[in-house]
Amino acid sequence: MSSLSLKGIRKSYGSLEVIKGVDLDIKSKEFVVFVGPSGCGKSTLLRMIAGLEHITSGELDIGGTRMNDVEPSKRGIAMVFQTYALYPHMTVRENMGFALRFAGVAKDQIARQVGDAARILAMEPLLDRFPKELSGGQRQRVAIGRAIVRNPQVFLFDEPLSNLDAELRVHMRIEIARLHKELQTTIIYVTHDQVEAMTLADTIVVLRDGIIEQAGRPLDLYDDPANQFVAGFIGSPKMNFLPATIVDKATGRITVELTNHDKARLTLPVTSGVVGDPVTVGIRAEHFGMGGAGDIDITLDVDVAEHLGSTSYVYASAGGEALVVEREESRHENGNERITVSISADRTYIFDDKGHRLR
Amino acid sequence: MAQTRLDRNEQINGWAFVMPALVLLGIFMIYPILWSLWMSFQVGRGNNFSFGGLANIQRLANDALLVQALTNTIIFFIIQVPIMIVLALLFAVALNDATLRFRGLFRTILFLPCVTSLIAYSSLFKSMFSNDGIINQALMSLHLVSAPIPWLTDPFWAKVVIISAITWRWTGYNMIFYLAALQNVDKSIYEAARIDGIPGWARFWNITVPMLKPVILFTTILSTIGTLQLFDEINNITQGGPGNGTMTLSMYIYNLTFRMMPSFGYSATVSWVIVAIVAVLSIIQFMIARDRRRGA
Amino acid sequence: MSLYMLRRTGVYLFLSLAAFLSVFPFFWMAVGATNKSTEIITGKMTPGSNLVVNFQTLLSQVDLWRVFGNSFLIAIVSTILTLAVSSLAGYGFEIFRSRVRERIFQLLLLFLSIPFAALMVPLFVMISRAQLTNTFTAVILPTIASIFILFYFRQATKAFPSELRDAARVDGLKEWQIFLFVYMPTMRSTYAAATIIVFMNAWNNYLWPLIVLQTPENKTITLVISALTAAYTPDYGVILLTTVLATLPTLVIFFVLQRQFVQGMLGAVK
Repeated sequence: MSSLSLKGIRKSYGSLEVIKGVDLDIKSKEFVVFVGPSGCGKSTLLRMIAGLEHITSGELDIGGTRMNDVEPSKRGIAMVFQTYALYPHMTVRENMGFALRFAGVAKDQIARQVGDAARILAMEPLLDRFPKELSGGQRQRVAIGRAIVRNPQVFLFDEPLSNLDAELRVHMRIEIARLHKELQTTIIYVTHDQVEAMTLADTIVVLRDGIIEQAGRPLDLYDDPANQFVAGFIGSPKMNFLPATIVDKATGRITVELTNHDKARLTLPVTSGVVGDPVTVGIRAEHFGMGGAGDIDITLDVDVAEHLGSTSYVYASAGGEALVVEREESRHENGNERITVSISADRTYIFDDKGHRLR
Repeated sequence: MAQTRLDRNEQINGWAFVMPALVLLGIFMIYPILWSLWMSFQVGRGNNFSFGGLANIQRLANDALLVQALTNTIIFFIIQVPIMIVLALLFAVALNDATLRFRGLFRTILFLPCVTSLIAYSSLFKSMFSNDGIINQALMSLHLVSAPIPWLTDPFWAKVVIISAITWRWTGYNMIFYLAALQNVDKSIYEAARIDGIPGWARFWNITVPMLKPVILFTTILSTIGTLQLFDEINNITQGGPGNGTMTLSMYIYNLTFRMMPSFGYSATVSWVIVAIVAVLSIIQFMIARDRRRGA
Repeated sequence: MSLYMLRRTGVYLFLSLAAFLSVFPFFWMAVGATNKSTEIITGKMTPGSNLVVNFQTLLSQVDLWRVFGNSFLIAIVSTILTLAVSSLAGYGFEIFRSRVRERIFQLLLLFLSIPFAALMVPLFVMISRAQLTNTFTAVILPTIASIFILFYFRQATKAFPSELRDAARVDGLKEWQIFLFVYMPTMRSTYAAATIIVFMNAWNNYLWPLIVLQTPENKTITLVISALTAAYTPDYGVILLTTVLATLPTLVIFFVLQRQFVQGMLGAVK
């Protein structure tokens, strides 16, 4: 149960820099999720923490000790891999006890620790099977068990659920959350699935192109994204982005004009921005109101409507721009229809042309 | 870039793993090749040699036996390799059909010749093709020929024997490569082609052959080396005869070194003829591979 | 449907004919081992009663057990060393990438197609200068490092999951332990296929032992067959019996490892 700190961590392959200076403090027992699109460097960062990739520059501390040059097995970490990485020629029992065997732990001690881990994960009946005799979910469990057995200070998960089908994924997600509660260890978890990030994390770290875009609690990221990238990445369906221009500015507020919606104008409590600048207005699907209920109304042509029962997503367009609207109260929309929805200024986010949030 | 300790470990391990092989290859492959280059400029008998300049190369130009050995090797190559590869492909395609009965049995039987040693099977072929041997007996009792074919005493028929022998021994070997490659081909490609109404022969020519092109190229290279190596069968069945009608490059080098008056310098020169041939073939192969990459 | 049946029948006929031609020499060899040389020459195709006599003739001409022992010793030692050296290097080249080693590997690929004939003269001179002629060391040493098998192992290593190595590193294994305890057991079928190829090559090797081994007590089985065949009046019964004996070990190895062999080849061609 250990804290971690990353200071100015960088990684280059030759002249190609993939991690461009990451600073991050992770508290003991915290569940941290690295999330971002593929190629953002999240797995590389995790592998650097594990010691599987060396750190080009920067400082990595685990539990107060500098770990840059320490062997993976001596960092007090355990890792669960995307493909589970179970040794195919060993039984579940041997897989789980393998690390301890090489750490010189006594046989009866290994048996006890493996037994404990198997009990926690309720997989005692599987102990003498080989990996190829297990289902995907069971293999995943063994991989987690193998990590538990080593009693690490920090658990590292590298996209552990991405090879499972949708139903199992939800099940294992809950299981991992339960484990975190039970084991009370620090967990660093990499995923590209923002739903996993939202549901599991104490802290989400959003990465893009080797830098941290934003780190914070899940709902803080959702409610108060630092930039357009985070706003678009966190939340499903994605936030709608409407192009606009600043047309007026007064103390403590600006007025923007939406480019594609009959030049509708919104006045927002934002202090920055320059008149004439192009901006982007962000609004989440669930924040559109009924026509007339907000500050402005816009009219959209419905393309497709998805009725999920509890809620409906309406994919609509106006002026060549596609939007998603969530409608809880209506099940009627279908194609070839027009709907009018409202936007409230206090439910929108404004980003400048570089994607920075204007506040 | 700062060299961290982990980084250095990777380097040390990288060299440690490849070192035994590199040392052995250096001593028993690269050094001998270079040495034989030096030796090709030496003249003399046995272990006493002296610098002879281009004498060996001049001798090369007037060596009728070398020309004969080269011609034979090329004949073996041009006739035998295509027959074998086409047969192996046909076997592989036939055996890749999951609905075929006894495919495991057929595969095993067709591969079986590969487990025989070159010497064992060539002795076998020598006994089968002897003048009053089983082959002539069978041909005569089927009234296909009226007199025994002089298999081992006529240069033409001796070549036929060698070619049949090699084809018998190696077709199954090549077939296994193709079979392995075919099993890696996504079956749905063939299903899609059938739904698109592509006839069987076109599926073979336009799907199977292009997909197997890398493996075919690879086996062709192996066969090329094999043909240049051709020695065991020749030495055992015909000894290069009759009248040097089946003399190959390897056999000739062996004779130069150990049979006739030993002349290490000149046999090294002939060895380098092989190296030169291999180099030319490698360049051709490289160009084919590059074309393929560009085409893809 | 009838066209389909016709084509099917054609395929079966074609394969059956090929299978017959494949098997016939084996049959000929087995039957011949039980017949007199004179009977073989006249094409007798039924088992005879001369097996014991052929065997006695063979034993009177060569020290069969010694010859078999030599062949086995050479083949087994060669196979073990070749597999060890080549798989280490194949793994090393594939797993620990560096620009220099990549260049070296490409260079080795060029040497892949150099036939043995081009090497045998300098090799023979080297061996005789090292006073190793007529020793098994001389037979084995030059064959250990095989570029072909090295290449094969590198290809197969591409299918070795890199996460397995990562997991082993996190589990605290040193690189050589990963190779020994994770890589080797995982790649069993690759090793099986390589074993078949290397053992057969070593068992069947002819030219190099012919050059290096000189005294009768050091001869291998292939040299014996060759000598019997080259005799002025070859005794075909004895020759065919010897070929049966020489083929049996490779046949057994093939049938024992056949399943893994096919799997191993699949991995290599990918």
